[in-house]
Amino acid sequence: MTAVRAAAAGVVLLLATACTAPEPPRGQAGTPGGTVCARPRNAPEPEKATTIDVVEQAYFCILGNYYGGATMDARSLLIAGFAALTRELDREGRDLPGATMPALTGDRKADWAAFETVYRRIVAQIPDLGDRPAVVTLEAMVASLGDNHARWAHDVKRHPDHYDGDGYGLGLAASVHDAQVNGEPGTARPPLFVTAVEGGAARAAGLRPGDVIESINGSVPFHDGKATAVIAALYPRYPQARPVRLRLLRQSTGRRWSVTLRPGLYQRDLTTLRAVRSELLDGDVAYVRLRGFSSDAANRVFTAVSRLRAGRTLSGVVLDLRGNGGGSPVEAIRLVSAFAHGKVTGHLCTVRGVCEAMRTDDTVELIGLPLVVLTDRGCASACEHFTSAIKDLGAGRLVGTRTAGVISGPAQPYLLADNTLLSFPARHHLGPDREVIDRIGVPPDHHVPPTPEDAADGRDPALAKALTLLRK
Amino acid sequence: MRHLLAVAASLAVLASAACSAPAPPRSAGASPTPTGPAVLPAPTGAHQVGTTVLHLKDTSRPDPWDLDADARELKVTLWYPTEQRDGERAPYMTARESELFLKGSRIAGVPYDTLSETRTHAVRDAEPAGRKLPLVVLSPGFTKPLSTLTSLAEDLASRGYVVAGIDHTHESHVTTLTGGRVAECLACDSDTDPGFGAEVVQGRAADVSFVLDRLPAQWDGARLIDRSRIAMAGQSIGGASAVAAMVRDPRVRAGIDLDGTTYARIPKTGLSRPFLFIGSPQHVPGGRDTTWERDWKLLTGWKRWIVMTGADHQSFTDLPVLTDAFGMKAAGDALPAARASELTRTYVAAFLDQHLKGRRQPVLDGPSSRHPEAEHCAPGGEDCA
Repeated sequence: MTAVRAAAAGVVLLLATACTAPEPPRGQAGTPGGTVCARPRNAPEPEKATTIDVVEQAYFCILGNYYGGATMDARSLLIAGFAALTRELDREGRDLPGATMPALTGDRKADWAAFETVYRRIVAQIPDLGDRPAVVTLEAMVASLGDNHARWAHDVKRHPDHYDGDGYGLGLAASVHDAQVNGEPGTARPPLFVTAVEGGAARAAGLRPGDVIESINGSVPFHDGKATAVIAALYPRYPQARPVRLRLLRQSTGRRWSVTLRPGLYQRDLTTLRAVRSELLDGDVAYVRLRGFSSDAANRVFTAVSRLRAGRTLSGVVLDLRGNGGGSPVEAIRLVSAFAHGKVTGHLCTVRGVCEAMRTDDTVELIGLPLVVLTDRGCASACEHFTSAIKDLGAGRLVGTRTAGVISGPAQPYLLADNTLLSFPARHHLGPDREVIDRIGVPPDHHVPPTPEDAADGRDPALAKALTLLRK
Repeated sequence: MRHLLAVAASLAVLASAACSAPAPPRSAGASPTPTGPAVLPAPTGAHQVGTTVLHLKDTSRPDPWDLDADARELKVTLWYPTEQRDGERAPYMTARESELFLKGSRIAGVPYDTLSETRTHAVRDAEPAGRKLPLVVLSPGFTKPLSTLTSLAEDLASRGYVVAGIDHTHESHVTTLTGGRVAECLACDSDTDPGFGAEVVQGRAADVSFVLDRLPAQWDGARLIDRSRIAMAGQSIGGASAVAAMVRDPRVRAGIDLDGTTYARIPKTGLSRPFLFIGSPQHVPGGRDTTWERDWKLLTGWKRWIVMTGADHQSFTDLPVLTDAFGMKAAGDALPAARASELTRTYVAAFLDQHLKGRRQPVLDGPSSRHPEAEHCAPGGEDCA
């Protein structure tokens, strides 16, 4: 499950959960079609155990509402679910002679009935596994969609001693983003190095930006230039707490050493957490960093630019979207609208190819200044909606590295009977020229990759390039 | 990415707080006939009440929200015992304040100046009376003007407390500063950021320390205050700020949080001064908000956790009384406005009487037949509410 997915789903969910009516109408399990699962209307009640009835609800919810639901072969969901179930049995040392897949016909309801019959027979023999069988089955069904905005959020725990603004993990960020590791690990490139020390174990151990991570738990992060799964160990999530051993190289001194970092809660600098930060650079460039497309994001950027503009003539705007995990498409469109009017920012298309154009909001005042956007592999979802529109419309230049390629389409949340949320897109996102951005990303106009030397010396060559472009 | 997860999580908190907000987001149109201007419940104590407003300026720090302001300006409203019976009652809000507050809260269907007609009981600028009076700092919920705690403030003053209520500038839909300048809610722009709550309570704790520092020089009545007896209470993030103020400033001897999710980091060595949580049923132990349980472990002194059956997030403010007057009916089994006010006043005053005046209050020791709504809770203990 990628964090980008989680974040995107979370933000979309919250937009949808604005307080409206009370009790959400609960779909009847077993009723195929669009009514089987409903949008959450309130913050969900505490989670209950996941049962086969919840899996059934999710199955019909996907078939009735998901982007590919109408055209997909539903058997693929059942096979993925059953495969995961049998693996779980085997892992638990509880494999059963009768755990074989029933024959499927292609009839969605009949196939479900056959699946459920076998499932119930199996699970009746392993009552001590609780809701694990249902959980792994449902997780696998959702994963089989291969959609980076499809997610089943369940059993999300937070450290009991967590304070607002705290981070959890090793306390560092690396050149391969958390989102990349979980979403598109194939996009990672060597070397792996520390880009930021946020606190916690990493700070206590004296790590610094630019430190090259040569091995993680004894394994190399890259094999023949290809990222390995071990990189994920840099980003543990609560309740994961197993210590992580890193071998490090500090290039400036040639020092090689090893540290063992224990994941935990750590305090972060609150001022760095604000979604919008701005400053005047070189006396006449408005630099605005936007960490996510939360509600009001566009207006906050506009306010920041006007404030820096008061009493002086600006030569341009640098919008820093590195690490921006996305959020509300509405905010992405509004932000594009400050740099272009009367244009299409992207398309939302059904699986049958029926597309709706998303257009600029021409009530937004044009900023009327040259724009440079800083991007990287951490710019995902709504962030890629924005950057692809700016690039295609010629409304600004992109500097940095290619974006994440995690923009299948805006996810909608559905409430399941165990009070968990299943979210996925009903339509997929295409760029202004109807090009696919998902899994491909948006390439910068000027490729300026981060290096450990720059990180160690506190240099930001992408920003320097942006300022140079605005001088021309 | 953790940042974004945190964004989502903190949004969820805010969303759920918003969901439990008054009844307002509806128009009064289809509801029963408005009953005319709201009248706050009469104070229950022995004293007449006076009130006055101070404007203070802290030049030692910039405003946390207005990046162009190099000083923090605060409006402080004082309520206190007086011997003066007659005189003009203080306005609840100005017409402009009423308008900006109603618009900001998306309350429609009533004249925008309607809250300015709310009837209060305190005599404006009356001469303070008494000696060695304990002081209570009040802090309102996010986006709420301090006025929304007037009923509680007047009652405490009638019981012999000086009340210093703070409008934390730019954290409310409207604050009137010196010269009639109106500050709007700049902090509202960033209320979905991770760490937002933590930033607000830190700022409010600094506001409280500054007000305590400056009160003697800025207000004649301050000579009546016994500065060894200071407590703080607040609703929502104002209550969370009471924890923050106590952590920061040892002068605050006791604190009350009215239904506020908390954000301040209590030192691992604990906080040994008395603290009272009073919540709506959303704040039962084991509920969605886990912050009270986190803090409970670190509160090492006298403490209580009381959940009011039928209460919602605004039951501890004037809003139920105000919305009743609009003709808006509270939803479901909500506490009637008068009862909500009575319970809030009773338990807040009992806590303060016990800890600032040294008078034991049996009502704090366990269930009370006269207050069956008040359930005594404790994490890991019997189920409550």
